[in-house]
This record gives sequence, structure tokens and C-alpha cells, in this order.
Amino acid sequence: MTETSLPAKARRRGLSEAWFAWALIFPAVAFIGVIVAWPLLETIRLSFTNADMNSESWVGLSNYQKLLGSTKFFTIIGLTFYWMVLSVSLKLIVGLIGATLLSAAVPGRALFRMLIMPPWVIPIAIGCIGWLWVYNGQFGIVSGMAQRFGLLSGPFEFLAYKNSAFYSCIITDVWVGTPMVSLFFLAAMQGVSRDLYEAAWVDGAGRWYRFRRITIPQIMPVIVSMALLSAIWTFNSFDIIWILTQGGPRGGTTTMIIDTYKTAIGNFKFGEGSARAVAIVILLGLFSLLYLTLLNRVNKFYGVK
Amino acid sequence: MATLNLQNITKSFGASQVLKGIDLAIKDKEFVVFVGPSGCGKSTLLRIVAGLEEATSGAIVIEGTDVSALAPVDRGISMVFQSYALYPHLTVFENIAFPLRVQKLPETEVKSKVAKAAEILQLTEKLQLKPGQLSGGQRQRVAIGRSIVRNPKIFLFDEPLSNLDAALRGDMRVELSQLHRDLAATMIYVTHDQVEAMTMAHRIVVLNAGKVEQFGTPMELYHHPATRFVATFIGQPNMNLVPAKVLGYDTRGLAVELDGGAQLTLPVDGAAAKKGDRIEVGMRPENIHLGQGLSMKVRVLERLGGTSITYGHMDNGQRFCAALPGDADVAEGQTVDLSINPADCHVFDASGAVLRRLMAPALAA
Repeated sequence: MTETSLPAKARRRGLSEAWFAWALIFPAVAFIGVIVAWPLLETIRLSFTNADMNSESWVGLSNYQKLLGSTKFFTIIGLTFYWMVLSVSLKLIVGLIGATLLSAAVPGRALFRMLIMPPWVIPIAIGCIGWLWVYNGQFGIVSGMAQRFGLLSGPFEFLAYKNSAFYSCIITDVWVGTPMVSLFFLAAMQGVSRDLYEAAWVDGAGRWYRFRRITIPQIMPVIVSMALLSAIWTFNSFDIIWILTQGGPRGGTTTMIIDTYKTAIGNFKFGEGSARAVAIVILLGLFSLLYLTLLNRVNKFYGVK
Repeated sequence: MATLNLQNITKSFGASQVLKGIDLAIKDKEFVVFVGPSGCGKSTLLRIVAGLEEATSGAIVIEGTDVSALAPVDRGISMVFQSYALYPHLTVFENIAFPLRVQKLPETEVKSKVAKAAEILQLTEKLQLKPGQLSGGQRQRVAIGRSIVRNPKIFLFDEPLSNLDAALRGDMRVELSQLHRDLAATMIYVTHDQVEAMTMAHRIVVLNAGKVEQFGTPMELYHHPATRFVATFIGQPNMNLVPAKVLGYDTRGLAVELDGGAQLTLPVDGAAAKKGDRIEVGMRPENIHLGQGLSMKVRVLERLGGTSITYGHMDNGQRFCAALPGDADVAEGQTVDLSINPADCHVFDASGAVLRRLMAPALAA
């Protein structure tokens, strides 16, 4: 008796449970649908049109054919990856050094921990305006100091030349991005058991040896995941470059995101701009996939399970 | 292998003094256990011997050499931590090999030393696993393996069994005693568990509030506790302490009257006691049997099979515990008549110091 009545009861309960679950996630789904999914689908649709301010009509793959046929586009991809790799590597290295210094038992380290926050806390626009003055040739501190120490014979406008503008942007990007990396590494380092260091010390391991064979492996999962996040942010870093150079001079700091913005918003070529945006999504998607596989392996290797 | 002498070790953290002048002489190949309640300073003392903490004053002498100023690795000690402190990202092999890698020994030597340690500890099959794949007891053995390969003069153990479950702890106790015999090394072992102390130690150091209460063999501590603290700390269940008054002292011993009214003549050295002095008579529950003289109302009865432990009160409200034979005819709520052989009683003066027993068993020496 009870056995036969069970399935019906279970089904009814299952149904209401499913409805309840959908009701619970509905707000989030609606939000993501409006903010993320719809714009993404609309971008993909636009990338197959020649939409501009006045009209739009279906052009099929011609936007993509144009992109693939342009050597300039591949130069921009190359520059973007160079920008990302260089900037992320510097953020990780400086962040690791910073975290190590901050975790050292020095008097007043709480103060130092607070002092590294400003680049991250103050609005990027304000920070970048500060950097604009730093890089200024006539009044900037770098140009001025270099002249005083005899490294430069005259004023040097750092943002006016392709190479110097690119590396200046890198420095500012690292300045903005490092504090958070440092804090993540610091938190991970604090999580490493003191016993491990004491055991290694009893066995005669010096400071560098302990850092190399305990600290680094223990925080490796955090290093790897931080590298992925930082890579995505840096790849799509728009505001810093836009405020400092607007992608110039002569395309010297035009990364994919700047190129997309210039095409779509600057020149009102919504169709071509969308094709560029889709290219970014595809590249970052592939990159993330590769990275997550790697992360999985790293976690396994370092015993996180 | 090595002797260890601690000379007037003190340690203060800020204003609080955790070690108040420790003097110990530990013999070669001895297994010494530091035992005491938590906060007594036993772990701090071990960490000072290891070199992980610096003593505020005093000297640590290993094999005649003052090592107080040396780094841990130069002292010839190795340490096993309570948490095992295994490196989760390294295999069992590399964990055991860690100290040898630090010394940059050639690969063949590393391999043979690790293989030897693994064989002693039955870890040969597990060498390629990560610590996360091992059971608690196996991790413990890896930690011991790491301390063996350095071939230290003195092994230090900081509560190594407290993370294991009760059954495994019993097995590991036997294994550690066996290991001590095989390695014939000086070992110092810290624990808060008096059973570990009693079963493994050649000699036990009982620490309380930063001071050595007593240093002696397990049976010395059991039969001749130097202080009231040691008497109540060693032995399970705890010793009963019954307040009493001195009636007099003669060749037969110290005549006392317990607060409940019973009178006993106890064979202890009471030359210093005066009539009317307040003292405490210590009676181990296992020395008490059914008889006449003491009476107790049983509140709780624990039948363990071999023994029946009764907890309750004497007539005057004094808490009392007795370990009676397993099938003793007692029940909860019942009043039972008990007795104790006067030779089994311990007597403590008002300061907590013991009056020496004159008729203790021979084994205690």
C-alpha cells in the first residue's frame, strides 16, 4: 500500500521543489540575462551586420573576412598578448616580493600593509591623471630627475613615442594592479602552517630555501588562479590606456579592447566593432580554458586535491 | 649517544614567566617524558631545547657542549611536531629526504638513507604517495622518518600522538618504545597524557606552573610522589585527598584523625609533624577495598568489567572515589563500608610536601 502511493507523492513533491528552485534563481537569471546574455547575443548579431548610426543590414561574414585579411589586426593581437604577458608577469613578481616583505615580522607592518592600498583604492582616473603629470616632459618628475642626473639632455615626453608610451602604460598598469595581487599572496602566505617552517628550520633550511621549497609550492594554487584573473583584467584593461594615451601614439598602445572601442564607438562602425569584440571573447575563452586545465593540474600536483 | 643538561632555564614572555629555573640532567639513551597540565611550560621547554625559542637565561648543554647559542640544526637534535608538519606537496620519499636535501647530499646517499628509514617504519610501499593519501598513523611515521634520517643525538617529540584516535595511540606507543630500543637514542617526549608518560618513560619530569615538581621513574612517582600535585596528577582515577589532624607520632607511625572521625596510624616519617597540625591523607582509589573503617555513599558506579569504580561522598560530605573488584556487591545510592591498608596511605603537610612513606613496595626503591 505505502509502496504504491510513494511514487506519486514523491513526484508531486519533486515538482514543487523544482518550481521553488526556479523561483529562487529567477532574479539572478533575469539579471544576468539582461546585463550579460542579451548584450552578448546582440553583439554577436551585430557582428554579422554593417550597423552604423543610420542603418543596418545583414552582411554575413564580411566583417570577419575583413579582420582576418588585415595585418594590422594581427599586429594588435600580438601587441595585446605582449601587453598582457609583460604586465601580468610584473604584477606577479612585484606582488610576490611585496607580500614576502609584508609578511616578514617587522615593526609597524600593519602600517605598511595599509600603505600599499592607495593605488588600488583611489579611482583609476585620478591615479592616471597623476601619472600623466609624472610622464609629462616639461613638468614631470621623471623627465626632471633624469635631466638633473644627466640621463637626459632635454625634456622627454614619455607618452609621445611609441615604445616609451607603451612601457609607461605598463608601469601604470602594474602600479594599479599590484596591491591586490600582493594582498592575495599575503593572505595565502599567512595560511601556511608555522610548523612547516619550524620543521624546515630544525632541519637546517635557510630563509631562501624555505621560501623556495615551502612558501612557493604552498601558495602555488593562489599564484596560478591570481595569474588567470589578472590576465583577463589586464587583457581588457581599458581606462588606464585610454586616459594616458588613447591608444596612441600611432597605435603604439592600441590593444584589442582599445581598437574595439575606437572602431565601434569612435567611428560608429558598430558592426565591425562587434566583430572585434567577438574576437576578444573567443580568444579569452580559449585562453581561460587552457588556463583552467593547467590550474586543475597544479592543484592536483600541490596536494590540494 | 648523548646526554642533555639543562641549567637554570628561565623563560619569560613579556611580564609572565612561564619557566622558573629548570635544572635537569638527562642521561645517555634515556627516554624522558615531560608531563604536566596545559600551560605548565612543557612545550616551551622542549622548544627551547630544540632552539625554536630562546631561553631568557640558563644554558643547554648537549654532550658537554653548550649549545644555547647554536641554530637548531647545529645542536644535533631533531623534532617531531604534534601536527606532523609534513610538506603536502612533496611525496613521502621527499618528505623524509628533506633534511638530506638541505644538506645537499648525493642522490645515492639520500636514496639509501631514506630506504633504511622507510624500512624501519614500514613505509617502503608508501614512498611515492603524498601525505594527503596516508592515514594518521602513517603520517606520524613519515614525520618520525624525517627525524631519523638526520641521525640526531637527541630526538624531541612534541605531543606526537595527540592527533590520533585512542586505539591507534596505544599501537603507536608500543611502536615508539620499540623504536627507542632499536635506535638506542636519547629521546625527550612531551605529553599531557599521564598514561603515555607512565608507559613509555624511563624517567618522568612532572612540570607545574613553570617548575619541576618531580623527576623520577614512573614507579617512584606513583609510590613516592614528592608533592600533592604529583600525587593527584599521576594515577587514574585521581588520588583521594582526605583532610585530617595529627594526633601524635611514635615508632608505629603518625596517628591521625580523618575529618570524618576515623582514626588511623600511618607508617610515614612524621618526625617534623606536631600534634594538631592540619594534613591531608592521600588514598589511591585502587588501594581501597571493602571492609570496615571508612564509609561512603555511592552516587555513581562505573562497571569496567575488571574493576568497578564508585564515586560518592563520605559521611561528612568529603568527595571520595574507590576502585573495587569488578563484581563487587555495590549499587548506586547504597552506603558501603571500606578500608585501606595504612601502609598504602600518603601524607601531605599543609605546604603540599610529602611525608616519606616507610613501608612502600620494594619496586619503587
